[in-house]
Amino acid sequence: MELNRRNFIKFLVGGVVGIQATPLPWKITDDAAIWTQNWPWVPDPAEGAFSEAESVCTLCPGGCGISVRKVEDRAIKIEGRTDYPINPGGICPVGAGGLQLLYDETLRFTGPMKRVGMRGKGEFVPISWDEAFKVLGDRLSGLRRKGSPEQVAAIDGNQRQTTMSVLIERFMQAVGSPNHVRTPSIEDTYRMGNFLMQGTESTMAYDLENADYVLSFGCGLLEGWGAPGRVMNAWGLWHEGHPEKRSATITQVESRASNTASKADYWIPPRPGTEGALALGLAHVIIQEGLCDDGFLKEHTFGFEDWNSFSGRVHTGFKTMVLKQYSPQRVAKITGVEQKSIVSLARHFAKAKAPVAIYGKGKDGQNGSLYEFMAVHSLNALVGGINRAGGVLVPEALPLRSLPPVNPDAIASRGLSRARLDKAGTPAYPFAHSLINNFADAIKSASTSPIDTLLVFSANPAFTVPDGGDFQEALKRIPFVVSFSPYRDETANMADLVLPDSTYLEKREDVVWPVGLQYPFYALSNPVLSPIYDTRNTGDVLMELANAMGETVGSAFPWEDYEEVVKIRAKGLFEAGGGRMTYDPALPVWEQTKEKTAKPGYNDFDELWDNLLAGGFWYRPGNANRGWDDLFTTPTGRFEFFSKKIADRIESASNQSSTETVLKQMGITVGEDEACMPHYEAVVSETDRAQYPLQMMPYEMINLASGWVPSPPFLYKTIFDHQLLKDESFAAINPVTAAEYRLRDGDRVAVQSPAGQVTVRINLFEGAMPGIVYLPLGFGHTGYDEFIKGKGINPNSIVSAGADPLSGEPVWWNTPVRLIKV
Amino acid sequence: MKNRGDSPDKRGGWLFFLAGLIGALIIGWVIFPMVLYSKQEQPVNFNHALHLNPDIGIEGETQQEQCRFCHRFRDDGTFAGIPKNNTCTMCHDDPEFPITKSPDEKKYLTEYVAEDKEVPWLIYSRQPDCVYFSHIAHVEMGEIGCETCHGDFAENKTLPVYEENRLTGYSRNIWGKRISGLYWDKKPWDRMKMDDCAECHTEHGQEQNNACFVCHK
Repeated sequence: MELNRRNFIKFLVGGVVGIQATPLPWKITDDAAIWTQNWPWVPDPAEGAFSEAESVCTLCPGGCGISVRKVEDRAIKIEGRTDYPINPGGICPVGAGGLQLLYDETLRFTGPMKRVGMRGKGEFVPISWDEAFKVLGDRLSGLRRKGSPEQVAAIDGNQRQTTMSVLIERFMQAVGSPNHVRTPSIEDTYRMGNFLMQGTESTMAYDLENADYVLSFGCGLLEGWGAPGRVMNAWGLWHEGHPEKRSATITQVESRASNTASKADYWIPPRPGTEGALALGLAHVIIQEGLCDDGFLKEHTFGFEDWNSFSGRVHTGFKTMVLKQYSPQRVAKITGVEQKSIVSLARHFAKAKAPVAIYGKGKDGQNGSLYEFMAVHSLNALVGGINRAGGVLVPEALPLRSLPPVNPDAIASRGLSRARLDKAGTPAYPFAHSLINNFADAIKSASTSPIDTLLVFSANPAFTVPDGGDFQEALKRIPFVVSFSPYRDETANMADLVLPDSTYLEKREDVVWPVGLQYPFYALSNPVLSPIYDTRNTGDVLMELANAMGETVGSAFPWEDYEEVVKIRAKGLFEAGGGRMTYDPALPVWEQTKEKTAKPGYNDFDELWDNLLAGGFWYRPGNANRGWDDLFTTPTGRFEFFSKKIADRIESASNQSSTETVLKQMGITVGEDEACMPHYEAVVSETDRAQYPLQMMPYEMINLASGWVPSPPFLYKTIFDHQLLKDESFAAINPVTAAEYRLRDGDRVAVQSPAGQVTVRINLFEGAMPGIVYLPLGFGHTGYDEFIKGKGINPNSIVSAGADPLSGEPVWWNTPVRLIKV
Repeated sequence: MKNRGDSPDKRGGWLFFLAGLIGALIIGWVIFPMVLYSKQEQPVNFNHALHLNPDIGIEGETQQEQCRFCHRFRDDGTFAGIPKNNTCTMCHDDPEFPITKSPDEKKYLTEYVAEDKEVPWLIYSRQPDCVYFSHIAHVEMGEIGCETCHGDFAENKTLPVYEENRLTGYSRNIWGKRISGLYWDKKPWDRMKMDDCAECHTEHGQEQNNACFVCHK
């Protein structure tokens, strides 16, 4: 009975046998399996009541209606709203992935912060809102006391006319700085072109849904141009046809076989930057073959025929210029498009019942070329497609009420009288309101930064401005940078102080007339949930800051909060009358636009306001088709092929220097008359073409955000291996070009431009034009979280092609480059 | 040669074997379940019997109606489960004025209602996330009473102790009460594993509902 080795083994055997007859081994095995399903990082769905919150997406200016599904206070899914006129049910991939922008706390700021590490490293420590207000308020007040309020600058990425943008503008006025600079977008080009040809500063109202021939000059219809939800819906209508109606023909003019080009009926690839010449070549054929709408040209346009000024001088008209200079032979040479294609395209377009020529460059996040836009828009006038269903409508402006003017004090008045740093509005750039490229250049080239404090709102210029890294350089030189971004973007990482905005699902924000929409539209987002971190609506923050600064700055903001300002402005909608706030899919807005009048869909302002607060919208379709009286507000009261405003500016500037000098300053290489009309300008690059024989053009994708809002990390899962592989992005080049450089698919190359170089891999793509290197936009972040940063390169960092004539905005589609195999 | 079979050592050896065997049985049947499950008291001791007393508590023609007064279905048909404060405060709305002298009510009012905090109830019957279970399909379409699966809570003056599996985090009521699977007196609230669901479906002639996707969406 002693415990020896043998007995001990017997004891153990007994234990082993016994344990088999208990639940222990079997239960442990099963529980271990279940345990593996419940590791802490396995997502745990929220429990509770389901609900739907209706709102509006403000991630881009497209303004799609969204319905957010929630479980208790947790948002779990974003879908398109079916009761919404812009995007009946549809939504883009960025919008669908928007929850990651809300819940990914490594992507956003969780409260006010101040920088502790090196600039650009993104190392911050939390501070209180009170401290943040004090630091910033003291700095701004200090600059005012010093008498140099113009050393404050604001970069504003909000769309014009949004309440946020109006408040920023107002804040800058009250502080006393003229340096309120907007980030570029296609809206700038539309606004300037519309102003010059039609007299109003609103967006282009393209009646896409009623068109039967859509001639798109570079609009990424399937890549996110305009309001993506609306354009995708229109694409469906064009292809499947309206009930009992024919469908539309789509011709895409673009050098690369983008998704839009691949799926269009016809694809015409001109060399990038020569689209304007192609449009004028089409105009030549239309005029020469007598396919124009003579009635419209005679009654409603100015400058088509040659004309005499009061002094008796004969001016060249559009017709003479086009017939003389833009023959299909010449245009074929400039653009690389075959003559017969030019002729047949012109005939198809002009003979369609409801043709529309639309202009864009990829998505709407970057500017286009002003003369190119004017050339394309002149096609609409030639065929009488203006103020006609299926063409370009000329609606009245959105009737938002103006806020009372700011009364700047003496300091502010002095500051406001100083010249803008970006030279917008000067004789060289008479129609530009903002030129961010000039702004960066001025700071970069000065010995000490003329800007002391930079405020950045809804923008990430360090990443998005196509300037070869100029803005980044400028940022490094500005002593104090303040970011109001909700996200840890590249610009915010350079900031000394961060006062984070709430994300779009946590705050009110208005949507003002989405890009390209044919009717006035206004909507207000409805906070789907209260801010989940210590963030605040920048509208409220700005008012509190102004009040903390006291003096006259505070008195410019007598309102309680952002919402009250929105309410005041919205009163204008009610006063204008005739709006609607409901949408019936059976009677879409593009059908309603043909109605002459519309009854209002509400009885009093309170009803309108309550509707807006609940994620509602306001639109006025009946006003889209107007009579001809007072339609065009140009100096001649007509549609102007020959812009009197350009002529005026040239003339007034010519008082001080010769006309040639004035034109040269504007970047124009043609004569005075031609400068007032749409014409083709070869973008002159100072770089030796022999040194950089190829041309780089960035391109955009629907499933990757390329603007200031980050891409939800989910979207990186939708990227193909020929766009991004591990951490490298790809340049798409034609196999012919690849053969010249002895490059094979997958080779690593350095793309060098005068502004710098990036390393990418080669993707051989038949749809790329020979001689052009296409780089995807949206990659190459150094900010945000581990899923976004360090993936690929940002083509904006090597853009170098000068400024667009007349508008002065960056030319980002024509960078001379060379390829060196690595 | 010595006959090893007759040695006292050998006979004694079997006792060691037996000791190991019995020890293992005790560990497996008694100690293991004690170690595996943590015992937790509910934050507030809710008295079902009191609330369901028709004279003083919740009214209702049938017991199910009474149950569903608090454990209600939402408008979209989903089951709200354990009621939240907004249900309780239909009666217990003022922290200053308790309805009874019960210390439990006082605790509820001062710690939760007054603080505007939800009670972190421990839920006996919560299925894993991978299981889709529709109460309304069983209660309305299947006409199964609440007590069939959850037992007669109506009689309970105190809430049972909640036992949680330390390894899986699931309640013991899901799987653990009938740990051997050999009990003759089977109660649905002892064990709610997939086999139990399937067995009941089959008994009620609902074999089609044993298909995977019915519960695992």
